[in-house]
Amino acid sequence: MLKDLVNPTNVNIYVSKLSDVLIKAVEEPLGYAINWGRIYSLWPVHLETGCCSVEFGAASSPRYDVERFGMLEAFGSLRQCDLIVVLGTVTRKMAPRLRMVYDQMPEPKYVIAMGACAITGGLYLDSYNVLPGADSVVPVDVYVPGCPPRPETLIQGCFLLQEKIKRSKIK
Amino acid sequence: MSTLDDKINEINRLAIQITKDNDDDRLMNLSIGPQHPGSGHFRIVIKVDGDYIVYADPDIGYVHRGEEKMSEHRNFIQNIPHLERPVIHDSTNIIYSYSLAIEELIGINPPRRGQFVRAIAAELDRLVYTTYWLAIYGIFLGHSTMFMWPTGDRELIIDLLERMTGHRVTHAFSVPGGVRNDIPYNFKEKCLTQINYFEKRLKEYEDIFYNNPLLRQRTEGVGIMNKEDAIKLGVTGSVLRASGVPYDIRKVEPYDVYDEIDFKVQYMKSCDTFARAYVPYLDMKESCHIIRQLLDKMPDEGSVREKIVGNVKAQPGETYRRVESGRGALGYYIISDGSTKPYRLKISTGSFRNILALPFLLVGSKLGDMPAIYWALNYWPIEADR
Repeated sequence: MLKDLVNPTNVNIYVSKLSDVLIKAVEEPLGYAINWGRIYSLWPVHLETGCCSVEFGAASSPRYDVERFGMLEAFGSLRQCDLIVVLGTVTRKMAPRLRMVYDQMPEPKYVIAMGACAITGGLYLDSYNVLPGADSVVPVDVYVPGCPPRPETLIQGCFLLQEKIKRSKIK
Repeated sequence: MSTLDDKINEINRLAIQITKDNDDDRLMNLSIGPQHPGSGHFRIVIKVDGDYIVYADPDIGYVHRGEEKMSEHRNFIQNIPHLERPVIHDSTNIIYSYSLAIEELIGINPPRRGQFVRAIAAELDRLVYTTYWLAIYGIFLGHSTMFMWPTGDRELIIDLLERMTGHRVTHAFSVPGGVRNDIPYNFKEKCLTQINYFEKRLKEYEDIFYNNPLLRQRTEGVGIMNKEDAIKLGVTGSVLRASGVPYDIRKVEPYDVYDEIDFKVQYMKSCDTFARAYVPYLDMKESCHIIRQLLDKMPDEGSVREKIVGNVKAQPGETYRRVESGRGALGYYIISDGSTKPYRLKISTGSFRNILALPFLLVGSKLGDMPAIYWALNYWPIEADR
């Protein structure tokens, strides 16, 4: 009987149903605690797409030190990361790599688009090799404006993302 | 036959052999970048035999934004902001040679005080660039103190530049005809204080980083590029000077006020990775020395900018002007057809010249030496991609 019900073709349906049931059971009592744990351990991927990487490096410097707000330095493997900061211009050569890195990251994952180029294409809007914004490649959560944004602006964007995670449902 | 020709033949032979027996189990393909804690906007395709690199192919062009084509659709003043974006932390130097070229095409001379202010901004930007480079070199070699110290001291110089120009890294300060605005009140004293402090810190860098036995072991005798090879490969800047060639554009073809300044061209004869890591540090020391002289000799009164109309027309003709940037000779070749826009603009960058030497240094060395060799080439990927 059970063999007829569960076979290799429909097993994933049961697994996803089971995960839905589990999430529903966990959401109500533990949702806040899980999100609280997530917001102070944002690991960014080290993928530099443009020149805002200089200001991203300055944000990890002793003066600004984003680590004290819960955004760690970008030295980890992408398999343990949950944040991708798109650092500036996304070119035609970089866009498939950006998508590939995003797809390889485990859930939950968040995206910050840093700089005018990552938002709309910025100064390079009329260039033949630049995409008009990173949101055509990956879903963006927070936009950080500036060309390049000051480290303080990046920290504010980090706060906005934490606020967003706090209010969202767990995945 | 020189050693370089031998090496080129060897690399070609290996490349043919590798394509022949591609499914050989001895060789392993590695693709380092663009998602990698060190590589940045850049990828190196490497084949290793055990621990030794037998084939290396730098794959550039991840940030190619078509600057040269874009500048044909903008006039000479509108070109400034996007042309400084390739090296945002050395932005005065990359615009410096553009300003010199446009000044030659239009036929104007900046006022003397403007020339001094521009040179001071360029030298401060060289410090900002080199400290960032040194910080990343610290990360590459697993020396995190060397990331924290230079990035911390760099902020003090950035403060100085922010007072001077109005923005942290992308200043758009140097324009054709001088600089955009005069230096603020009390700038001279502030600048001298910071430079004195920075020189003190440089001595500490030497103690903790360059005299560190670990760094010495990892860099001394690694990636040898002798004088003849360096000249043949066409490398420039600190990489060329580390191979024993005292070549500096500020000395060879002095621009603006550099012929009045007394400074030495820093170079080393050991030709290895340690020399390539140490020459930028010596350049920083020399920059402090130059800034002090510039502040001393700068006239107190006078205009800083020769005003030109916004839509200025250039004389038909062509020009090539270059400056010594943080990475080496940085030149602009501009053809003008007498209109308000450049007919053709070509940027010749130091990074692109230096990366050509990477396969020759990597083949034959160990995989563990790759980060030390690569970043000591003083390479900034965005500048090479333009």
